[in-house]
Amino acid sequence: MITGHYKTRYTADEGIWSTWPKQAGLVAALVALAVLPLIANNYVLLLAGQIAIFIIAVVGLNVLVGYTGLMSLGHGAFFAIGAYTTVAVHHEFPNTFPLITLLISIAVAAAFGVLFGLPSLRVKGLYLAVATLSANFIVLFLIRQEWLAEWTGGVSGTETPNAVLFGYELRSQRAQYYFIVPIMLIMLLFAQNLFRTRFGRALIAIRDKDYSAEILGISLYSHKLKSFAISAAYCGAAGCLWAYFFPAILPEDFGLNMSITLVVCLVAGGMGRTLGPVFGTVLILLVPEILKIVFANVTDGDANAQMLFSPMRDIAFGVLIIGFLIFEPMGLVSIWDRFWRFVDRWPFSK
Amino acid sequence: MGQFVQYLINGVISGGILALIALGIVSVFKATKVVNFAHGHLILFGAYFYFTFAVMLPEAAFMPDWVRSWEPEWLVAYRADAPSFSPKAAIASWISDVPRILLGLAGALAANALLALLIERLVMRPLLGQSTFAMILSTVGLIWVLEGSAGLIWTAEAEQVPSLGPNFPIRFELFGANLFLFSGSLFNLLIALALFAALMLVLRYTRSGVAIRATAEDQSTAYAMGINVPRVFSSAWLIASTTGAVAGAILATRTGLSPAIGLFGLSVLAVVLMGGLDSFAGVLLASMLIGVLQAMTQWKLGGEYAEIVPYVAVLIVILIRPHGFLGQEEIERI
Repeated sequence: MITGHYKTRYTADEGIWSTWPKQAGLVAALVALAVLPLIANNYVLLLAGQIAIFIIAVVGLNVLVGYTGLMSLGHGAFFAIGAYTTVAVHHEFPNTFPLITLLISIAVAAAFGVLFGLPSLRVKGLYLAVATLSANFIVLFLIRQEWLAEWTGGVSGTETPNAVLFGYELRSQRAQYYFIVPIMLIMLLFAQNLFRTRFGRALIAIRDKDYSAEILGISLYSHKLKSFAISAAYCGAAGCLWAYFFPAILPEDFGLNMSITLVVCLVAGGMGRTLGPVFGTVLILLVPEILKIVFANVTDGDANAQMLFSPMRDIAFGVLIIGFLIFEPMGLVSIWDRFWRFVDRWPFSK
Repeated sequence: MGQFVQYLINGVISGGILALIALGIVSVFKATKVVNFAHGHLILFGAYFYFTFAVMLPEAAFMPDWVRSWEPEWLVAYRADAPSFSPKAAIASWISDVPRILLGLAGALAANALLALLIERLVMRPLLGQSTFAMILSTVGLIWVLEGSAGLIWTAEAEQVPSLGPNFPIRFELFGANLFLFSGSLFNLLIALALFAALMLVLRYTRSGVAIRATAEDQSTAYAMGINVPRVFSSAWLIASTTGAVAGAILATRTGLSPAIGLFGLSVLAVVLMGGLDSFAGVLLASMLIGVLQAMTQWKLGGEYAEIVPYVAVLIVILIRPHGFLGQEEIERI
């Protein structure tokens, strides 16, 4: 393959930011992320925070679906577990340091991930999809129960605490943004590096052919469960940040719709790549907002027309996911790759 | 004991409907190897189509009066000496509804068949040969498209639709307890089981049934034997959508029209996996089991627990027997 890059050492080949366009892009992205809150209004920041949280969750889903090849339609449950763990921890110990809560949420979600991962040792593909979907329904059912209502608020949901960092309460969107985005960047970096290790490559081997991987000496048993745990841990972290970010949570927030949205983000972005979830999440979460603006302009804010907005959004989501599957199965990231390949080879590219 | 029998009857009746819905998922899977997550929403459309053709259309100004309510002279005479709330009165009011019920069923079957052909041609055909993952996700995408379109087209919720059969309470005594059930539900159960049996016979004895089974067995060999495989795909979707339309009509008469019917379809997916994706007998068994289990849970623990029964049951069954009760174990080639 013509790449346009001349490498003489393996370390150069392994590097994440080996070429100058990548380095420049990274610096530009970091500067843009740092400057955004200074120029953006609260609406944009709310959206940005939401996107950042979703990116964490989708990166986690990518570990399982994109890299290990196990299907899940139940990751909303881990999201819920992370969020409700945060609420419960603050209920018991009101002044917990947010990063400690984050770690607890991650640990609890990872433990549930191992539990949910048990069916993956017996089944895969469709059966696993339905097993995780069932697990999602069961977790939400438990959250709604009376006897857990002291910690979860039951059916009617619960108010969530604000993060307090060194005596400074993060109330504004701006402060929250600066809390969430660095965590997102660290978790992205971790995911990117995970797949440069022996363990990460073992997961990829399992995805490509599980029995071949087993023959090579990779224990399917432990790797699948660990993959589930890592993936759930990411969603748990996202859930924890979600609880800090929004004033209240409801069990319904984390239902099948959220689980499917996570998968849609992943498919739209491109599976098995770190940048895929980023692109996919940005696209999928921006679509309803763009639709909303277009809709408001077309209908002039007519209340009757507003009723049609939610069905229209559903249809747009459905068409997007089917469209991507038919026309661009590798997701947005493959468009991105094609673009950079073009730039790299220029002027010899077609 | 009497209570137990009462809930057993309720369970068997809802199990029959589960079986009718599961039928659609299994037939599509057998022929095309696609597991249709959107089957519940296909049923939702069937229910709304039934509502459109059995309630909305007869109300329209251009329809003749006898469609709205058919009152021949002999029926008026028959009704005259029937006391109100008696079986006789219920039958009489059902007879006067028959034209619009038939119109509704015919319309729902035709419209749903058209919808399924459209889906098969536009969504499933281009994805032929893709991974299971892509197939599952495209049907998941369909869920959203169908749900959104239903929300755009029909804004009605919890509307009443005419029952398929005459609906009067039947009371009888067993083990010293008073039991009762609605004749309408009994009629629904009979329809469901009859459709199930009819489909079995079609698959076993007719030419196109054999073609479907051959395709399920081995696609490329079926091609080589001169079977028109794409047409088999279409006919599998047709079976699913038409049985789904009847199931939708039944569900609409039981619980009223609402988008929740679509979600109900997902729980049927759990039932199907429990029985074994490619086994009609296993699915019938699982449907009855889940129906009865749900009724018993409702009796002992309450309605909200009944909702998650299929999901808990499928998790347990998958862990013990990954391919369901009677499903065929997949053999992987290295």
